[in-house]
Parts: sequence; structure tokens; C-alpha cells
Amino acid sequence: MKKLPLAVVGLLGALALSACGGYEPADDEVVIGSVHPLTGALAGQGEMMHEGAQLAVDDLNAAGGIESLGGDQLVLRAGDSKGTADAGQIEAQRLVSEGAVALIGTYQSDVTANVSAVAERNRVPLVIDVAVDDVILEQGYEHTFRIQPNASSMGRDGAKALAELSAANGKPVRKVSYLHIEGAFGQSVHDAFAEEAEKEGIEMVSEVTYPATNFTDATTQVREALAADPDVLAVTGYYPDSLLIAQAIRALGGDVDAVYGVANGGFDDSAFPADAGAAGADVLSANYHYAATDERAQDIRARFEQKYGRTMETSAMLAYQAVVVIAQGLEETGSKDPEELRDAIAGLQVEDPLLEFKGPIAFDETGENENASVTVMQIRDGRIEQVFPDQFKTADIVYPVGR
Amino acid sequence: MTTLTERPDRPTTVSADDPRLRDRSAARSYTVLAVLVAVLAVLPFFLDDQTETVAIRTLIFAIMAVGWNLMSGYGGMFSFGHAAFFGIGAYTGAYLLVEHGVSPWIGMVVGAVISAAAGCLIAFLCLRYKLAGSYFALATFAFAMVFLLSVQNLDVLNRTEGFNVPILSEDSWTMMQWKAGSPLYFWIPLGILAVGLIGTIAFVHSRTGQYAQAVRDDEVAAASLGIPVMRIRLITVAASCALTSLAGSFYTQYYFFVGPEQAFGSAVSVNAIVPAVIGGIGTIWGPLVGALIVGPLSEWIADVLREPPGFLSFLEGLSGLDVAVYAALLILIVLFMPKGIYGTLRDRFRS
Amino acid sequence: MTEPTSTAAAPEAPPDRGTLHRPSEAVVPLGVVAAVVVAIVLVYAVGDRATDLVTQSVVTGLLLGGVYALVSVGLTLIFGVLGIVNFAQGAMLTMAMYLVYEMTSSGGLPVYVAMLLAVPIMFVFGVVVQVALLNKLTLSGSHEGPLLVTLGLSLLIINVLLMIFGGRPLRVPGSVDGSVEIFGAVASYERLIAFAGALLVAAALLLFLRRTSFGMSIRAVAANAEGASLVGVDVRRIYALTFGIGAACVAVAGGLMAPFLSLTPTVGEQFTILAFVIVVLGGLGSVTGALLGGLIIGLVQTVGALYFPGTGSLILVFAVFVLVLFFRPQGIIGASS
Repeated sequence: MKKLPLAVVGLLGALALSACGGYEPADDEVVIGSVHPLTGALAGQGEMMHEGAQLAVDDLNAAGGIESLGGDQLVLRAGDSKGTADAGQIEAQRLVSEGAVALIGTYQSDVTANVSAVAERNRVPLVIDVAVDDVILEQGYEHTFRIQPNASSMGRDGAKALAELSAANGKPVRKVSYLHIEGAFGQSVHDAFAEEAEKEGIEMVSEVTYPATNFTDATTQVREALAADPDVLAVTGYYPDSLLIAQAIRALGGDVDAVYGVANGGFDDSAFPADAGAAGADVLSANYHYAATDERAQDIRARFEQKYGRTMETSAMLAYQAVVVIAQGLEETGSKDPEELRDAIAGLQVEDPLLEFKGPIAFDETGENENASVTVMQIRDGRIEQVFPDQFKTADIVYPVGR
Repeated sequence: MTTLTERPDRPTTVSADDPRLRDRSAARSYTVLAVLVAVLAVLPFFLDDQTETVAIRTLIFAIMAVGWNLMSGYGGMFSFGHAAFFGIGAYTGAYLLVEHGVSPWIGMVVGAVISAAAGCLIAFLCLRYKLAGSYFALATFAFAMVFLLSVQNLDVLNRTEGFNVPILSEDSWTMMQWKAGSPLYFWIPLGILAVGLIGTIAFVHSRTGQYAQAVRDDEVAAASLGIPVMRIRLITVAASCALTSLAGSFYTQYYFFVGPEQAFGSAVSVNAIVPAVIGGIGTIWGPLVGALIVGPLSEWIADVLREPPGFLSFLEGLSGLDVAVYAALLILIVLFMPKGIYGTLRDRFRS
Repeated sequence: MTEPTSTAAAPEAPPDRGTLHRPSEAVVPLGVVAAVVVAIVLVYAVGDRATDLVTQSVVTGLLLGGVYALVSVGLTLIFGVLGIVNFAQGAMLTMAMYLVYEMTSSGGLPVYVAMLLAVPIMFVFGVVVQVALLNKLTLSGSHEGPLLVTLGLSLLIINVLLMIFGGRPLRVPGSVDGSVEIFGAVASYERLIAFAGALLVAAALLLFLRRTSFGMSIRAVAANAEGASLVGVDVRRIYALTFGIGAACVAVAGGLMAPFLSLTPTVGEQFTILAFVIVVLGGLGSVTGALLGGLIIGLVQTVGALYFPGTGSLILVFAVFVLVLFFRPQGIIGASS
């Protein structure tokens, strides 16, 4: 009997050792690790983002790879965070052990926090494609960089944009009701929005939160938000809840100048207009967005759709952009050393970003992109159009919305 | 032949310290444990960084399963909310470290004490109100959910943001932090696991443990023999919760981040239960065997899926297959090997 | 695993509180309903919330409660008759919704027709699950075994759905659009239909259980499986059919709810634990109890959200659950002994 546990341990130990065949990068390869939820509830997003990164790698390789490294080819290795922080950590560690010089990921803030710690302790740069929580870059880590605007900057920019566009269209907003998901994401966007709005002379008449789970009917919360008789109803949340909210607003016949998403995960998703139908008409959304006015971005999206058979959302474009940032860093250093790459990325200026930002991508000392900004989209005739600021317009705005 | 009324001159009974009566199985188990720990202790020198992370996660599962097994296997009180105690350990350590700079070692001990107290309270209430079997399991599940929801709503515990362990530039024993890949990150959970297994072996062979199993098998009979049922049960629960809490405290230190979902999510409770069930509930080695199977299992499947051999190529990149396999394994074990893999093999070897 | 104590399964009896009091059976349910009504009146009167908002939350709560009841009605049968804590209830709900999705998108069927087709499919699925996976454990009286198997089954279903359909949220096109006003509160037609469906299903089940011989057999097995088998009831068959009926109820729930939910493999999970709360609250095996319990929990959640926004109202729901477990585990409709 005492032999048994030993035998089992030995057997499984052998299995474990054999399973870690591991990957060894060839001499003319540069490995980038991509950590996203490839399985689990968020697999749709994760897979799409990985594909976006893969397309970037393919494009760069087709153009000759990394010139300053003698034409070395990029290799993208996939890591599956499974939507959980510990799996994300294990995968990030694996990719680093397998020779990744940089990591990208991960779509979820808590997973990203974990992977960021791995990056820091292993001294490998992590370029965040999607993860919104401010706190991730407030740890004093030096190896994490973020391309997208963080939660509070989106709240601030959203408020500024609303003040500007409403004034420019003859009905400056006075009162805003804010409906948001509870939790760090919704709360921090709201707080930043509210602070900026007060500075603009806008009155925040109501704040209503809804739970992240067990939320299948938005009618009561929407009603409460509308009860304060706002000019504009601002909404921060994810796709399923934003859909419920849009439907509830329509059912209640809410008479507002606009429904205004801020950092909203649903309102500018390409599937939203079809899913929401009439409830989605003329809904505004202030969010980071792929550069619809840029030909390069349009071309990338077209090829993505052709190759992968699905629409390229902004999150996938961010993954593409993250790879481009790393590639540019590699070009600058001419070295595969992760620390030197990190230093190069810290000092980069990436011109012509593939997202509608107010300037080239450049990282400040905490790793945030100084020029990340939001664009305001509107759903017009079942399509998502960019309507503000003017330099990024693809269609005219309708404000106030005729309901 | 002696008559019935006379006492025999020489006692024909055996004295209490006759060597034939000594229980050798405890000594055997301790020996096995010592050998096991010695073998595992050298593993960090053979494993690469990535496999080591899998091994550490396996150790964490094993600690949780051994802890769960005390209360649910030997105590017969099926807990479906062990995440509550894992979470208390994780959050106590995190809070004390981040907010008050307290050493994680102290945090670990404090967490274990709080966990044991919370477990006793919950178990006391459930038992006093005579909840058993599925009702008890549901109650523990409900308590774990209440903890999760409460943490998400408390500012002092950072609501949904969780805690980030500050990264130090140097190794530190007091702060339980070393550079990435240090073998200490393997030896500490190994040590905790060894403590847990020593505790389990001691428990099983002790009077308390025997009483606990008696209570599990037939509460009424045990009470009629004078066994203090409530006290025995609470001791078992306290040990179970304290051990699981240690796993949680270590988790925070190893992953550098803990949030409500990581600490109190229902997946955590499942991680405590499944290895013990697969390995063998109510056995000493079952939970460890189960953890050794479950821990590397999803990595191994993921490895296969990443570059599947030719005949399995249709499986490539298939979302969710590893959990599906894990779930099917659970069902098969419960149906066909209810004593778990280790339990069934042990019985077969015995007979 | 605990040793079986009987050869035929006894669904777990709720803890014995003693037989000192035997109030008439209608007192507790009426008392609870009265308490809820009083609470709502208090909210209107002194609750410091706008009247139309309270009405909206009550209406939404009742409609939500109907949906919860739909999911719970099948579970109360399973838990009540078989004694099985069916952790796969939410996963079966999700499975039913995906079935409906498949029929509406590939087959082009209107959603309520698809629902009717999903019912027999899920019924057969339920029967197969019980016969293949659960019967042996149920008959041996194990309480933890079925719990673990249904847990495994739930993970299995979710991940197989994930493998087949992927993780992106899907939409089932609704057949009916628009909403109606009730006392100043707004209710969408789809949710009203779901509510009506809940009442119909509950009524149908009650009729089935009270008026048909099958129903009587089920009730007999629930009360005393050994005794029932002694009088010639095929207990194994009844178990299989009961699980099948539970699955069929969930199919109706899935079909009625699909039009207003975003479909992901984990969408049903949020209902599993709430269904348990409702089943315990209402009383094991009681269809009326599940209906009442569902409505109460729906109201607690939505009216509670007026005071405890976000997950605060959920804590309230679980607090109710824990209190019920401690002080009246047989639930509202359960008998005192």
C-alpha cells in the first residue's frame, strides 16, 4: 500500500515532465506572446484579438520582418488565459520561458493585473491591448504599457466631448443621468465623467448602478435614471447589459436628447445595431475606436474579414496595434533583449496609429499612452458611424435625437 | 477449566502495551509522507519555470483538497462553500500586507484563525438547526456567496478591485517574496501540504479522528456512546478551514494579486472538491492523488490541443475541451469508482 | 462517501423541528404573502421612493419572478421527488435556449414554435441523464453522489456548448415586439408571455400531479419510495420520468426567455443558485411553492435594488435563503412535521 502513492507520484511526475516539451525559438525568429481568453465565456473576444495580432505578425513578416535584426521573422505564440487570473499567469510564464521577448493581452483587467506582475518579475515588456482599469498602471511597474485610454481618461474625455458636441449642435447639455454597472470599471468611468462634467457646468442629476450578475431586466434602473428628467442618459457597461438597457429605454419611451455610452462595451460593437434593432437607433457612444477614416485601417479590416470570416472589432485592431508597437521597438533596439526592448518602447513615438487618437502613440512614465483619446460614434441606419470630433467624422451627427 | 465464579490466577488478557497491539499503520503513513516530501522537494531543480507554475498550482489544489477532505470526507459534513475559507485566507493576508505592511507569515496565521472561527460559526449554526446532507451543502454554498457579494460591496476590501501585492526589488523572507522562479515558491506550499497531511494522519489515528468518523457514520449511536458530537465536529471543521485558509494566503503571495472572484468564486470551491472526489474522499492520500491528476490535466490537454497529433487534428484550438474532459472524468469516477481512484485501488490491493 | 442507509432513495427530509405545533397548512403561505404585501405597502408609504418607480419595480419584480419560477418548477420536482440537488439546472436551461436558437436560426422557425419542439427533446435528454447517470446513485440513497454528478454534468454541458457555438453572445429573434402599460409601469410583451407561460406550466403540472395516475405515482414515490414500490410502482421509471419532466419544464423556460436574453454558454448559471433558493423557500416538491417563492425572490431582488443597488439586493436574497434554511427549511408550503 505504501508503494502506491509513490508509484502514482512517479508516474504523474514523468507525465508532467514529458508534457513540457516546450518551444525553442529558432535563431531567426522573434517570439511575441499573446495572452487572451481563448476558451471560456469570453472566447469570442479573445480569439478575435489573437487573430488581430496574428494578422499584424503576418503583415510585418510579409514586409520583410524586423530589418534591424537582419530580417528576423516574428512568431506569435498563443496563451489561453481561460478568462481566469491564475491560468493567465501560468500561460504568461510559459510564454516567457519559451522565449517571448514581449507579451500582449489580455482583455480582462484582473487577468491583466496578474500578467503584468509576471512581466515585471521576469523583466519582459507587456503591451496591453485591452484592459481598462486605472489601477493596473498605478503599481509602479515599469514593464507594462497601455495603448487604449484608461477608465478615468475615458470618463473625462467623454464628458468633454458631450459638452462640446451638444453645444455645437445648438442644445448644450445641462443635466445628465448616469447609469452604470457596479464595480471598479463602471465606478471609475462615472467618477471621472462626473468630475469633468461639473467643471463644464453640467449637473449630474442621478447615478444609478446595476449588478454585474443576475441582471436580466433593466426597466426599473432605467426608469429611475430617467425619473430625474435628464437631457442626456449616459451609460457605462458591457454588451449584454447595454442591450437590455437600450431595450428598456425604448420600452419606456425615454424622452432624452441622447443616449450616450461612455467606454461602453456594447454600443459600438458591430453586432449591436442588428441585435438592438430599433432600440439602437441613433445611440451615441464615446469610446476608443479603430480609425475608420484611415485607409490603412480600412484595408486591414477588409483583409481580416476575408481571412477570418468575421468583423474586426476595435479590440482586435488594438491587438494588431500592440504588435506594431513591439515591432517598432525591435526595429529601434536591433536587439532581442527584453529589457532593451522595454526601454525602446518607453521612448517610442508610433505615428499614424490605427485607432482614432489625437496624436502618435507615446507612453508616459507610468506606461499610459499620452495621446489616447475617445471618438464619439452614432448608430445611423443600422451602421456605426464616427460623428465627433470633426476630423474623424464619417457621417453627420444627429443631435438632439428625435425620439 | 476455571469455574465461572472464580477468577483465573493468571490473566489471559493481553497487556495494553503488548507490541502485537501497536498500531503500525500510523508509522507507515508517516514514513510514506517523509519519502514523498523528500522526493518532491528536489523537483524544483528538474522542472523548468513553466512546469513549476503548474506544479505549484497543483500543490495549492492539494492543500485545499486535503483541507476539504477533513471536514467532508472524515467529518461527513459536505461543504460546497470552501471558497469562503480560501478567500478569508487570501484576503486577510492581502489586506494586512497592503494596508498595514504586516508580514504575510503573520497574515497567514491570522487568516487561519479567522477562517477556523468563521467555519465553526457557520458549522455550529447549520448543525444546531439540524441541517444535513444536501441542505448543509447548500447552506455552505450560500455562505460562500454571501462572502463574495459582501467583499464586492465593501470599500475597505477594495470592492471589486482586489489587492495587488507590491513587488519588491530584493528577496525578502519577512515579506515572503523572492525572485521569479525561486524554489522557495515550491517548498512553502509543499511544507504546508506536509503539515496538512501530518495533521490528517494524526487526526485519523487519534481518538478525535475516530470519534469524528463514528459521528459521520452514525450520529445517534455515537452520541449514545457519550461522544461529544458538536465538539468533535467543530474541531474537525476548524482544522479543515484553517488548512484551506493557508492555501489562500499563499495564493495571494504567489500570484501577487487577489480579487473577489479569485478568492471566493464558486470555481474555488469546485477546485477543493473535485481532486478529493477523484482521488478518494475520506482517505489520507486520495486528495493528493486527485490533485496530481487534476492539476496538470488541463495543461496537458491544452498542450495536446495546441499541436494535436494528426489523428486528433479536428480538436485543434477547440474551446472548452479541457474542462469538458475534467467534467466527464468527475462523472465517471463518481459513478464507477465512488471511492476515488486511490480509494478503489487501495481496496483492491487489500483484498 | 457516506454509506447508503436504505436500499431505495428517500428524498432528503427537511430537518425535523419537532411536532409541537401543527398550524393549519394554509397559515404559513398566507402569512408570507401578507407579509410581502405589507412590506410593499410600507415601501410605497414611507419608503421615500417615487410611486411610479416603486410600481415599476413591483411589476418588473413579478415578471422576473415568473421567469425564476419557470426555472424552479422543474427543479422542485427533481429535488422533491428524487432528492437530487441538480446543479445542472441552469446548464440545461442554457442547452434548451441553444436548441431554440438553432431551430430559429437554421430552421427559420418562430421562437415559440421552436420552444414547443424543444420540450420533447429536453424531456428525452432528462430521461437519459437520469437512467444513465443518476438512477444508480439515487436508488442507493447517496446524497453527495448525485450532487457531484450534476456538477460535472453542468460543466460538461456548458463546455460542449462552448465547443459547438463559441463564446460570442447570440440573439434569438423574438416574435413579438412592443410593450404595454400596467398601472403606469412598463412591461414588454415578451416578458408578459413568459409570465403567462410560468403560470400555465405551474397549472399544468399541478393538474398532472393531482389528477393523473402518473402524477399520483410520482407523489407516492416522493412521499415514500419503498412503500410505493411495494404497491407496484416502478420506482426507477418514475425517477426517469420525473427528471424528464423537470428537463421539459426547463425547455419551456428556455424558449420563453430566449427572446430577451443574450445567449452565451454561461447564461443559465445565474439562475441555478437562485432556483435553489426558491425551491427551498417554496418547499421541496411543491409547485405552488416554487411559483410563490419565485415571485417573492423576484420582488426582493427588484424592490431591494431600490435601496441596495447592484449586488446588494442579492445579498438580501441570500440572507433570506440562510434564514429559511435555519428557521423553516421545509419552506412556505412544506408541512410542519
